[in-house]
Amino acid sequence: MSRIGVFICHCGENISRTVDVERVAQEVGRLPGVAFSTDYKYMCSDPGQTLVKKAIQEQKLSHVVVAACSPRMHEKTFRKAVEAAGLNPFLCEMANIREHCSWVHENREEATVKAIDIVGMMVERVKKNRILPTITVPVTKRALVIGGGIAGIQAALDIADCGHEVILVEREPSIGGHMAQLSETFPTLDCSQCIMTPKMVDVANHPKIKLYTYSEIELVEGYIGNFQVTIKKKARSVDEDKCTGCGVCMTKCPQKKIPNKFDQNIGMRTAIYVPFPQAVPNTPVIDRDNCTWFKTGKCGVCQKVCGPGAIDFEQQDTLIVEAVGAIVVSTGFDLYTIAEKPKGSPIKGYGEFGHGKIPDVIDGMTFERLASASGPTGGKILRPSDGKEPKQIVFIQCVGSRAREKGISYCSKVCCMYTAKHTMLYHHKVHDGQAYVFFMDARTPGKSYDEFWRRSIEEEEAVYIRGMVSRLYQKGDKIVVMGSDISVGVQVEIEADMVVLATAIQPQKGADALAQKLGISYDKYHFYSEAHAKLRPVECATAGIYLAGACQGPKDIPETVSQASAAAAKVMALFSRNQMEREPIVARVREAGCVGCFACKKVCAYGAVEEKEIRDRQGNLIKVVAYVNPGVCAGCGTCQATCPSKSVELDGYTDEQIIAMIEAL
Amino acid sequence: MIKKKMIISQETMDVDFVRKVEALAGTSVRRCFQCGKCSAGCPMATFMEHPPNRIMRLLQLGQWQRVLAGRSIWYCVSCETCTTRCPNTVDLASIMDALRKLSWDSDGASKESYVQLANKLFLQNIRTYGRQYEMRLAAVFNVKSGQFLKDLMLGPKLIAKGKLKMFHSKNKNISEIEKIFTRIEEMRKKGDAL
Repeated sequence: MSRIGVFICHCGENISRTVDVERVAQEVGRLPGVAFSTDYKYMCSDPGQTLVKKAIQEQKLSHVVVAACSPRMHEKTFRKAVEAAGLNPFLCEMANIREHCSWVHENREEATVKAIDIVGMMVERVKKNRILPTITVPVTKRALVIGGGIAGIQAALDIADCGHEVILVEREPSIGGHMAQLSETFPTLDCSQCIMTPKMVDVANHPKIKLYTYSEIELVEGYIGNFQVTIKKKARSVDEDKCTGCGVCMTKCPQKKIPNKFDQNIGMRTAIYVPFPQAVPNTPVIDRDNCTWFKTGKCGVCQKVCGPGAIDFEQQDTLIVEAVGAIVVSTGFDLYTIAEKPKGSPIKGYGEFGHGKIPDVIDGMTFERLASASGPTGGKILRPSDGKEPKQIVFIQCVGSRAREKGISYCSKVCCMYTAKHTMLYHHKVHDGQAYVFFMDARTPGKSYDEFWRRSIEEEEAVYIRGMVSRLYQKGDKIVVMGSDISVGVQVEIEADMVVLATAIQPQKGADALAQKLGISYDKYHFYSEAHAKLRPVECATAGIYLAGACQGPKDIPETVSQASAAAAKVMALFSRNQMEREPIVARVREAGCVGCFACKKVCAYGAVEEKEIRDRQGNLIKVVAYVNPGVCAGCGTCQATCPSKSVELDGYTDEQIIAMIEAL
Repeated sequence: MIKKKMIISQETMDVDFVRKVEALAGTSVRRCFQCGKCSAGCPMATFMEHPPNRIMRLLQLGQWQRVLAGRSIWYCVSCETCTTRCPNTVDLASIMDALRKLSWDSDGASKESYVQLANKLFLQNIRTYGRQYEMRLAAVFNVKSGQFLKDLMLGPKLIAKGKLKMFHSKNKNISEIEKIFTRIEEMRKKGDAL
């Protein structure tokens, strides 16, 4: 006969406000098999857990039901407490009377009755719980980092410095990401290249880091500690081992007028190219869409001039499989662009700002390239239309961000600061010019950030105008900015030479597709979701996958670097053990009943079902049955639902347990 | 003027005027970030067409015509509540002083304000008589401001109570007073006084 202990939590007032917890405790106490029931204000607190442990010992309890919040919140907490008191942790179950009851009901009487039912069901269920031994699985001590921006670089370096192998995969021909594009960085105005490129070189030279540039993730299989990742290495058309990076091919290439994406398409590059001179690796790539050889079969100049003979027009995409134990996702962000609005996107454009139509209306990243010493203008601020220096420049903040009507309601976080920086850079480069900024709020939380913003106004003479711009239009070679100053309460008009839009930060294109490959969740904007907004901000809900940088939400460089190091610390904690324990909630096959149809194998999303031969003593094959590899099984229960002969059971969620719950109702 | 659209450019933003105000007041105009605390505590704000924070904002945009055209600066009673409470240590009371001074000097926009006319006549009387001659002040003010009948009915009452004298009385040391005026004028010419 079981001796079940039931513990009802008030959750402060969260539960007790709508559920009469004392009555629940009394009523449940009368159920057959319940030896002890009580209620307490905070069951998850230390005194609460002690209450559970004491009751187990004093009352000689055989099973425990904690009626409190969702098992997602505190199942682990209570199972640990139960284990500490000497019971198998899987003899403890949670009855969710908060999310499923008190939070969603108002009528106290009805909610109390429902809570009694929920707890009653769990009492019947826990009677059928079996002791489950924990499963240990080996940990592959190699990490995969997806995305070679500052987040990926920092995470890779931190993990590699601890002596673990790291595989860094980057989609573009060079690592560096958006930070490499920036001219100077707030709030200290140190040059981005100066602080970024040494780190890029560190990555290239690190003996523990294996770098795959111009590569993408094709497939991810496995689970925490044991992932198999297929990486597609796109054909570079240049043999990385032979190439010396001399650059002769680039100077001789006849295709010289291809817009360079790295320079926001205002600078030009050749068909065989490195995106920027400081690229890592310094190995060119042939852009096959624009290369004369690939278009017409003629030319081949690069091949002729290449001393080491590194040009290989025959190169094919290759697939590489790597085994890793943990994955850090750091795919970064993309800017909201109106000119290339994707079809079918819920995000609307800014027709009223003429972005994409008026040539001198540019975005913040384009301004960065103009201001950058290594940019297409050599660091001079020049208008894209006629190459003249703009004397009146208008910056508009919150373009795309905080615009519910356009489809984005979040704040992009960095624009206030980078616009302040832009006004300073402009003031340093164009002494007789005047910068104006239209803004709704200045959001500058961060160390030395507000001081930086104030400096742009008080010392660098930027004129900030609180109020949004309604419309921009071309008038001669000027752009008329129609705005308002809400502090004065009048309309404002400025005839500007150039307008810079602080466009919103969005997740990288294809972020959703990658998330589906990884099996991680994302929000409606396709930013990746962390496991807990406050307490687990760098982990995904999927075990073994960690987040770093702007792929999770808009972030500046200091925050990105902090998060990357935090993700690396999480990976290192995982790698500190040779084996890891995992929950024994896995499927088991009753071999006697299995007919070997392998319907389960077809539906298993994790590839956990294997074929097992059963032979007699003479070695004659009797039948082939399914076998679930407990190391791979994720405990989703799909096989259990599919099996036509009811021969698969999921431990912890057996048919017997489910039926007992239904019967209790 | 108040609601008229602002055309902002380097030409319309009079930076020199702002610098002058800053020099006179010994405080920064750019430092204000429009929190509105000055207007919140100003006892006269309800009478002003531009409350103190908006005066600051217009100054930041170099729109001195709008500031001087209004009467706000003359409604200011120099209680210095704004200066005491400003989180950015902007001495707004001094800025108001400076603006009144600059309004005095300019012949343009400030004509709208009768306060300035009254002040000018007040000082003229002092210079002429060595003390105030209210009857003349009121009469000349009414004529010059074109409001001939303004407060006319108050006259008999004030005369009856002995508050308004029909004829002026001259200060004995009128030459001493003239010296003060001359000295200030000379100092101004040299740039020693404001």
